[in-house]
Amino acid sequence: MSSDKEEQKMKAAKPTKAAGPEKAAPEVAKPAETKPVPAPKPAAPPATAAPPAKQEPEPPAFEKGLAQELVAKFGDAVKILYIRPIRIKVETGPSSIVEVATYLRDSMGFDHAESASGTDYPKENQIEVNYHLGSYTRDDLLANIIVLTTKANRDDPRVPSLIRVYPSVEYHERETYEMLGVYFEGHPRMERFLLPEDWADIPPLRKDFRIKGR
Amino acid sequence: MASYIESFRFGEFVGSVLWLVFWILIIISLVGLPLIFIVLFYVPLPPLGDEPLTPYLFLTMVVDPTRTVPIAKYLIHTDLFRVAAFPGFTYAALFAAVTIFVERKFLAKMQLRYGPLYVGKIEGWLQLAADGLKLISKEIIIPAAADKPIFWAAPIAFVSVAAAAAALIPVAPGWVVADIDVGLVAVFAIFGFFPLIALLFSWASNSKYPFIGGLRALHQIIAFEIPFIISALSVVILAGTLNLTGIVESQIASYWFVFFLPISAFVFYLSSLAELERIPFDLPEAESEIVAGWITETSGMIYGLIQLGTYLKLYVLAALFVVLFLGGWSGPIIFPEEIIPGYTGEKIYNHVTLSAIFWFSVKTFGVIMLFLLPRGISPRIRIDILLHTGWYKLIVLSFINMFVALALIYGGILGPEGLLVR
Amino acid sequence: MATLEEKIEETRKLGLQVVKEIEEDRLMTLSVGPQHPGSGHFRFTIKVDGDYIVYCDPDPGYVHRGEEKMCEYRNVIQNIPHLERPVIHDSNNITYSYSLAVEDLMGIQVPRRGQFIRAIASELNRQVYTLYWLAIYGIFLGHSTMFMWPAGDRELFIDLLERLTGARVTHAYNIPGGVRNDMPEGFKQRCLDHIRYFEKRLKEYEDIFYNMPLFRQRTEGVAVLSKEDAVKLGVTGSVLRASGIPYDIRKVEPYDVYNEVDFKVQYMKTGDSFARSYVPFLDMKESCNIMRQLLDKMPESGEVRTKLQPNPKGPPGEAYRRVESGRGALGYHIVSDGTPRPYRVKISVGSFRNLLALPYLLVGNKLADMPAVYWSLNYWPVEADR
Repeated sequence: MSSDKEEQKMKAAKPTKAAGPEKAAPEVAKPAETKPVPAPKPAAPPATAAPPAKQEPEPPAFEKGLAQELVAKFGDAVKILYIRPIRIKVETGPSSIVEVATYLRDSMGFDHAESASGTDYPKENQIEVNYHLGSYTRDDLLANIIVLTTKANRDDPRVPSLIRVYPSVEYHERETYEMLGVYFEGHPRMERFLLPEDWADIPPLRKDFRIKGR
Repeated sequence: MASYIESFRFGEFVGSVLWLVFWILIIISLVGLPLIFIVLFYVPLPPLGDEPLTPYLFLTMVVDPTRTVPIAKYLIHTDLFRVAAFPGFTYAALFAAVTIFVERKFLAKMQLRYGPLYVGKIEGWLQLAADGLKLISKEIIIPAAADKPIFWAAPIAFVSVAAAAAALIPVAPGWVVADIDVGLVAVFAIFGFFPLIALLFSWASNSKYPFIGGLRALHQIIAFEIPFIISALSVVILAGTLNLTGIVESQIASYWFVFFLPISAFVFYLSSLAELERIPFDLPEAESEIVAGWITETSGMIYGLIQLGTYLKLYVLAALFVVLFLGGWSGPIIFPEEIIPGYTGEKIYNHVTLSAIFWFSVKTFGVIMLFLLPRGISPRIRIDILLHTGWYKLIVLSFINMFVALALIYGGILGPEGLLVR
Repeated sequence: MATLEEKIEETRKLGLQVVKEIEEDRLMTLSVGPQHPGSGHFRFTIKVDGDYIVYCDPDPGYVHRGEEKMCEYRNVIQNIPHLERPVIHDSNNITYSYSLAVEDLMGIQVPRRGQFIRAIASELNRQVYTLYWLAIYGIFLGHSTMFMWPAGDRELFIDLLERLTGARVTHAYNIPGGVRNDMPEGFKQRCLDHIRYFEKRLKEYEDIFYNMPLFRQRTEGVAVLSKEDAVKLGVTGSVLRASGIPYDIRKVEPYDVYNEVDFKVQYMKTGDSFARSYVPFLDMKESCNIMRQLLDKMPESGEVRTKLQPNPKGPPGEAYRRVESGRGALGYHIVSDGTPRPYRVKISVGSFRNLLALPYLLVGNKLADMPAVYWSLNYWPVEADR
């Protein structure tokens, strides 16, 4: 119990410590601040006494501001799954993912995608595709990662590709295609990448693919 | 190692020893003895005192060792000895072998490691013998679509051409295999074969990486032949003769040419590095870019022959540098007139020749070390920088020194009855 | 220089066109495959027009072992030995990131001395990996001395790591909860001695390699990755820092005790091959500095590990943590469903992200630049394949 409290205090204390060295980052010009929320990240309010492990603490104000901006722009098309210090998870539908990603890149400053991957949920008959988006050029967003996810139907998973928005997902989407079977529409070269040429089995990261002997 | 001990059978061991003895006897009796008799009966032997040297006398020379001295003296002056042993193939191959070993040790010391250490008790000096045996026993793999006549002929041609170049180098006064009047031009002519062989071999390999390597070899060697020749020509201007022995003698008469022509020596050195395809100019064999360049498809003894040819070329170019710039065999005579005072037998010991051989070997070895040095220091050059250097910069530099040489001759400083001629 | 979009279009057009139709006579296809001294466990196909490369198509997957799938069959502690196999000599960093993510998920607090030892082991591993990278860079350019010297100096740090963890590579040292065992006696003094000797050696490296005119001619101005392209392509690590963006996760998102260490992020603005080869060297110098500070500030005694129950499990949820490894940002996205075995582990490695820059940088350069550019991207094939 007390370890939970300490761990949450550690997590809450991290944004202030992260803000310190960030301000001291040398020789990078600060871009003009256009955020609706004032710039320095305030300390997150400490957790309440002895919380049960499942409950999320009060989300920090800066990330809350980012999430609110997205919701203000897109309304019902996006759903915020969790807001934690320097991590936000945003879910949207396959039809609007390109628009949301373009808005995140152009207006909110998340200029590259770190990776694209997926998780298989056979119980809900869905495959969740998620992109980790980060920023290299905005000083206040350097540590933030937005996890942009969408859910595709497991029987025929088709999701529009984000390659026109973030060129860096080229190889990641190919890998997700061969590992989970998700077809990314609009990707110029949807082929197998890591698996051998004679792979004749189902996509390996699906839950019904069992490793032999286990 | 436990498996060897387990399957040891004494009977098999004795059987294998007997098998070995049987084969030694067969080879001696069917091959060795006839050879000895052919030599004794058909090769004209010198007279020993008053009587002719009969085979009986020859075979009993172990009783009277002084009988071997005239035979040795006679043999030393035959042509066969010159070609095969002393200034010819064996001497060059010995230099090549010592060079390979010294290169590995020298580089290892520069790179803070040991080099060969185990084969042979002292610092692994027998490593070369082990490597030679390994290469002989390896399987020679020829690609199916390769052009077989050229594939077999090219390595042999490579070694022969390198040995032919070694035949022109004078080691001591009077000791040269082929003493021709246009010695230097003959050396250049022989060296012009090498790009052809590289290209033929790479084409015959019928594979992409050797193809790229062969083209690179062609470009590189041709680009550096011109500064090579021009820098040697400035030496000819000072010496007045193309004969290599004559060049050495004119240096003995004045001073070493490296003092008058330092830039030419430098250009000659760089061009030699390029001709030899040594680092930094080893693009034809660039390991990380084109696997092994034009020698990719070699294996076993073919690779061994090409390595031998490469190191023979190294000896030839180092010796040529010594002959052209460092005064050949000139140096103070350090051997005494009589090795054993009061010895009355026939002498095969000539102190002038021996000291000439000594100085020549020392200088050649020094120049070889200079050739080995860049391998520990610098990375590989790129082809466009290489061609730029060879065609522009080195030609200009070698012309500068040629004008200096002309000025020295016309100014009467060198040349016949010059100021500095002793 | 064409923009990124134009280069993308041209590369794709050329690739698809040449693969489907009969090749023109001018182009020669070379397979720089796994059996090539200049490629590692990786294959890329290049098409050359004379001496210029016009097309490059990477083909990884030769060492793909299904790390992510295997993680789902073992509990969080059993995952450590096989997770460090992708990069055997940087294993402390790849397990560091995993341990941080698991500690986030399960709410585990690592004791302070354990955090310091973790950071020291991570810095030692960074040196080991970067020296190996430097050695291979030397031999790719034909510089055999630059191959032997870093490989020999690497022994200094491998010796330290062997004293600390028991193994020369693949240490299995970082586990969720801390590190496996404490430092041996005399380790601190020995570490400081080795670092002092190593800093002298770094000066010699500069003399023989970075100041060598031939090396500079071969790498300066070659394959420039501009700042905008670097951001768009999403590269990471030293490749990013060589293009002018001072992004280091130890500064941006300090984990464990890195917020108590004072160091500067090393970066260069030119973005060519020389910058990409020089930034890891500067990182190594800075790393010596960091190690000294860590050794100073470390508490004298204390626990190094929080003991967990044998089959540790935590509440369902997910966590994403990143660590700065030798190649760049190494991130773990772990999804847990309340059982002791993770539901999904996604490893985001720096090598895989940097691979994207390879086709765009190689096109238009000479064949002789291929090893210089390829290895300057700090690409470790085994890690990219996982």
